Amino acid sequence: MTLPPPPPDPTTRVEVGPMVGDPIADNIVVEAFGVTKAFGDVVAVSDVSFRLGPGLTALLGPNGAGKSTLFRMLCGLTQPSKGNVRVFGKNARRDRNVRGRIGLAPQQDAMFDRLSALEFVTLAAATHGIVGPEAAARRSLDLVEISADGPKRVGAFSKGMRQRVKLAAALVNDPDLLILDEPLTGLDPVQRNRMIALFNELAAAGKCILVSSHVLDEVARLGSNIIVIAQGRLAASGDYHALRELMDDRPHRIRVRTDQPRRLGAAILERGVAEGVSVVEDRLVLDTRDVGLFGRQLAPLAVELGVELNELVPLDDDLESVFRYLVERR
Amino acid sequence: MAAVGNLRATTITYRLILRQLVTGGRVLALLALSAVLVLVSLAVGLSEDVEDPLEVGVALIDLMGFTLVVPIVALVFAAAALGDTREDGTLVYLWLRPMGRSPIALGAWLASVSVSVPLTLLPLAVSAVLLDAGSDLVAATILAAFVGVLTYAAVFLFLGVLVRNPVIWGVVYILLWEGLVAQFGAATARMAVRGYTRSILTSMTDVDLDLGTLSMTMGILVPAVIVVSALALTSWRLNEMEVA
Repeated sequence: MTLPPPPPDPTTRVEVGPMVGDPIADNIVVEAFGVTKAFGDVVAVSDVSFRLGPGLTALLGPNGAGKSTLFRMLCGLTQPSKGNVRVFGKNARRDRNVRGRIGLAPQQDAMFDRLSALEFVTLAAATHGIVGPEAAARRSLDLVEISADGPKRVGAFSKGMRQRVKLAAALVNDPDLLILDEPLTGLDPVQRNRMIALFNELAAAGKCILVSSHVLDEVARLGSNIIVIAQGRLAASGDYHALRELMDDRPHRIRVRTDQPRRLGAAILERGVAEGVSVVEDRLVLDTRDVGLFGRQLAPLAVELGVELNELVPLDDDLESVFRYLVERR
Repeated sequence: MAAVGNLRATTITYRLILRQLVTGGRVLALLALSAVLVLVSLAVGLSEDVEDPLEVGVALIDLMGFTLVVPIVALVFAAAALGDTREDGTLVYLWLRPMGRSPIALGAWLASVSVSVPLTLLPLAVSAVLLDAGSDLVAATILAAFVGVLTYAAVFLFLGVLVRNPVIWGVVYILLWEGLVAQFGAATARMAVRGYTRSILTSMTDVDLDLGTLSMTMGILVPAVIVVSALALTSWRLNEMEVA
């Protein structure tokens, strides 16, 4: 399935590095200054700084990278061990008005399982001080396409429906800052596309939306601005497409099982298809910066040499290795 | 978005926590505990070997009602009121809102008291009637149970936001501190809720109980101070704690 690219969003801004200027004048919503969070000897987030304005920004990182901890610090749910976090120029932990401008859909599955979807979202509206909380809840549930009058309790909902109810609760106060921790987990492809479209609509309306994900392709559909976090550190940030190119330019390691590894390896080197070749336990292991070229030339070359190809395995094609590369090159 | 007023925040929290607290399993288990007291009281009330029904009645109510039923019922509901939301991660849906922390603490305390009061006062009052020792015992039991539930609920509400597995810590507190250490002398009795419920029983029935030597006024005033202090500590803890 080919999806249309998300609309360009000129209002989004992501800045990383030393913080200068006036946040209010610069329309900055979120600021993190040298934020570190340690749990005993484990450092979950290390010296992260960035500023965000209105628009959609994706926080990308593998599981355990520190995304949820960073989100919790932004919301004030946990305090940084070092550094500062400001939302609308204030500390959400201490300022209840700031908390009223935040919508959070947490990653954890916990909900008040004995409530129906309408009751759950109405509770969120009431705790935000909204006049007519039930009407607001109905509107919000409508946005995520959940029936407000369903008799089921949220405890009996599927993972995808629970995600959407959490999203409705996060949206019910029309927040200026929407923080969504892995909101697409458990959704089917149709729901994902609808939610992504909704995020983009809200971003276009001037909201600051921060969405985390550990799935690279998901982030590609979310928007053009990303922050990459790996091992608790800021690995990269900025435009998605530039980062994607950077990721694609990294050397790729591939293992080939063949009946004549040395002969095939020598030919590959001779043609310049790979930069490095070695034979490990009768398998050919090679490094290439151009996977496309390698893919196109390997099969004809094997035919030409009369060599059997039995297996082709990318050794570093997982997201973790991409993040490792980004961290190592900093 | 306007901040939520304290009264409204208290009401919202109260309704939510009340709904979360009342489960069939909890209520049945605690009713079974209370039933033991009622049955023993019935047996004692029907016995013809009791020389002084009031003295025996006060001792029984103190031993079973105020050592077990009142603190255990209050512990189960008050520790769960915020402790469960903290442990299962749902506290975020109250915490990250434009609401003060005190209304959350107050609403949760009121919810736990609302469930605990009928589950303690009714069986204790029935037991006092079955003991057939006069109206003073019934009145003293009801007042002492009311004071005890309110006080224990505030203490255990704080425990629920202070430690993990608050029920285990609460049982240890009830058995070791209230049940054992508080028996060592007047000074330690004053640091246990049971010292005050026992003083109310003593004051209203004129039956002497060890370490129940405080006046009626102190028996009510000090628990009131404990309640206010525990609620203030719970609010402070909510403000300072890390929320999952």
